[in-house]
Amino acid sequence: MTNIKILGVMIGTIAIYTWIANAIPQIESAVPEELSFSSDVSEAELVAAGAELYSGGAGCTTCHGLETRAPNLLTGFNGEGTIGTRCGTRVPGQDCKTYLHESMMNPMAYVVEGGFDPMVFQARVFSGAQIWALVAFLQDQGGVVTVTGADVAAAEEADAAAPAGGPMVASNDPLDIMRGNLCLGCHMLEGEGAELGPAFDGIGSRITTDRIRRSIIDPAAEIAEGFDHLAGSMPPNLADMLTARQLEVLVDFLAGQGG
Amino acid sequence: MLKRSRGRWSWLQASLPVAIVAAIGLLAIAMEPLAAQGYTPREYGDFPIIGSRAAIWIAAQLHLFFAAFVLGVPMFAVVAEAIGIFSSDDRYDKLAKEFTRLLLVSYSATAIWGAILVFGLITLYPGLWGYLSEIFAPSMWVYVGIFFFESFTLYLYYYGWDRWKKGRAKWGHWGLGILLNLWGTAVMLIANSWLTYMMSPPAEVTPDTAPGMVQFWSAFANATWMPINIHRLIANVVFGGAIVGAYAAFRFLSAKTDEERAHYDWMGYIGNFIAMSALIVLPFAGYWLGREIYEFNQQMGTTMMGGFMSWLWVVQAFLIAVLFLAGNYYLWIGMGRIPGAERFMPYTKWMLLVLLIGAAVWATPRNMIANRAEITAMGGQFHPFLGVLGVMSAKNTAVNFMILTTFLSFLLYRRANKKAVVSWEKRGTTIQGALFVVAAAVVLFYGVYGYFVPSIVRIGFSVYQVLAVITAIILVVVIDMLMMRGAKSRGEIRWGEMPERSQYALFILAVTFTWLMGLMGFARSGIRQHWHVFEVLRDTSVDAATPALGYASIVISVCVLIFLSLVAFIFWVGGLAEKPVISGVGGGATSSAPVAGDGET
Repeated sequence: MTNIKILGVMIGTIAIYTWIANAIPQIESAVPEELSFSSDVSEAELVAAGAELYSGGAGCTTCHGLETRAPNLLTGFNGEGTIGTRCGTRVPGQDCKTYLHESMMNPMAYVVEGGFDPMVFQARVFSGAQIWALVAFLQDQGGVVTVTGADVAAAEEADAAAPAGGPMVASNDPLDIMRGNLCLGCHMLEGEGAELGPAFDGIGSRITTDRIRRSIIDPAAEIAEGFDHLAGSMPPNLADMLTARQLEVLVDFLAGQGG
Repeated sequence: MLKRSRGRWSWLQASLPVAIVAAIGLLAIAMEPLAAQGYTPREYGDFPIIGSRAAIWIAAQLHLFFAAFVLGVPMFAVVAEAIGIFSSDDRYDKLAKEFTRLLLVSYSATAIWGAILVFGLITLYPGLWGYLSEIFAPSMWVYVGIFFFESFTLYLYYYGWDRWKKGRAKWGHWGLGILLNLWGTAVMLIANSWLTYMMSPPAEVTPDTAPGMVQFWSAFANATWMPINIHRLIANVVFGGAIVGAYAAFRFLSAKTDEERAHYDWMGYIGNFIAMSALIVLPFAGYWLGREIYEFNQQMGTTMMGGFMSWLWVVQAFLIAVLFLAGNYYLWIGMGRIPGAERFMPYTKWMLLVLLIGAAVWATPRNMIANRAEITAMGGQFHPFLGVLGVMSAKNTAVNFMILTTFLSFLLYRRANKKAVVSWEKRGTTIQGALFVVAAAVVLFYGVYGYFVPSIVRIGFSVYQVLAVITAIILVVVIDMLMMRGAKSRGEIRWGEMPERSQYALFILAVTFTWLMGLMGFARSGIRQHWHVFEVLRDTSVDAATPALGYASIVISVCVLIFLSLVAFIFWVGGLAEKPVISGVGGGATSSAPVAGDGET
């Protein structure tokens, strides 16, 4: 009898935990779907693919499903309506499609004010077709979808032409390298760029040449004081997108920014 | 004749783990010629009915359960032996030996499940196995070598117990216990490097980096390696204590004599004490691990805490609430067998209230992913009242109050049958009380202040709260030890006179710790999502998607059931071969009772 009681308590406890875990909302982390569209892709196909990415494998809802880390894009934010209705007015002179596309290609430059953390750098996580599908889905949230098959086809062509893992730009000019690799999306240099990360102005007088090089190769190794909250934002594979010469040109250039 | 047969059994049992490791080594050697012929292994294999993922999940989890037990138990076995040596109290030596006996019979199971895991990886995930072994080959050879040393140290430690019992030989024996812990820890550190590499590979490793080009040390000592090491080290002690407690509870319920019942009552108390004491510090190791995950990759951190795993933390809060409640309940019931404890009993209902409120606050969700319909039903993104309790300020405050309350339970239990004789007793007790109040005030202050500062500042407040609680605990213990020197007894603890229902609390503790370990294993592994090695080696199998918590809970429950069944079987088999060691602790009304405070650690 004692053994049966022990067994009952143990199995009962396990059953309760299993029941609780099954009673709460079930969220699976899906794998981002590889998308390939022809130029005659329909609006509905793009929106459907974007919706699946948004709530599934892309992990957008991790931050944008809340209001503490990033604006909720699917519900009204600050009384401005859903993302489809407000995207056209976010940046003067930029239409909705351009704004949304740029926000994903260069996310650090488009962080909404209001105490939100900067968006995790993931412009290169998705293929061009995936990004356009996401734009279409977001436009569909109260707005008009203007993404076309031509946009998608152009992006797929660009993806196919891009060398895998190679340098982003061919130039050895330090400013071209920084612009091509989106460094100025977070760092400010002589009035150009954004003020999210430490400014490049005067960087050579603040840290050593070795540390500049290390910060490019392994950004997480040492975080600049006061920027702990941005840890993990800088792409860890940046050095893989530079040639050895580009890396040294960049390091020399930054080390020379003595302020 | 009987003796001879026991010897055979023991050496068969002893040589099994070594034989298993040797078999794995031979298999690896046998595969070499295939590679030389240009044979390319397939990326994935198939496992019937449950699929490859579930098969490897179960193998890994069961290996980990047993490994945690055989790594955790030697830590407190060696401490118990040391207490026995320094205090010349033979009961602790006998207890340490019994701990080690449990260890011995579990060791083979650890090796068997380790072998199943390795064979599973070779046959079901050959691509991943090839990738990892190319990077970590040297550490795998060292691992096997240390495993041999660990095995033989264990056999010497256990079988030499009675031979090396006195004088210098006893110190040598204790040294073997320490060595056993060192080998065990080294084995764990090596294995942890493999799994943490999968979570947090070095920044310079990309999908294009050939495994042969990955720098060994950079892969080995990756970003989450040390936090996992510390977290597992403490968790193993918690787990080992809980399983020992359940073993003692089972023995208590099936005991035939008062003496046996008294011994297992005492053992159960010590198992619970070890588990709860280590549990109190475990969250701090968890904070560090979480912080390192965020530092490594912010997206991984947010996936873990606020992404598809956000509901997991609600379940975790419920489990931890059960642990605190069951642990305290066991102590409060135990006070019934301590003369003098009745003066503290009126406080238990208030302590229960604090624990219940704390558990409710901790389990309150905030950052949940909600769809439009759910947001509308809730009246906004957050619940108008409960949303306030869901933030980390409230949760940290709640858990620190629960820790303080549990510590108070232990303190009252410890002092129950003692009467201090030092002249400064009143002053000492007042200082102890003041330390509790100051710690609670610091925790509450930063809990409330946290609502008025940005999140990045608020995160730092948890450190102040933790420091206040830890400092109070240390100071109160030191004062108590000084104050209770030479204390008079209010009566002996009546070991064995414990209601049966108390023992079921120990079973619930063991099941809950085991289940929680499985859940946290899913969290740690699941945040890699569809990557074998995060953002380096993609999972392209049919099981690449990370399952929802419901499915995970079923796999976890299956693992827990298999583990507990095997543990029960192993302990039963162990009991067939050798008689339990009775410590001679007080045997209820019919036996001579121990001196006041004995049996407390």
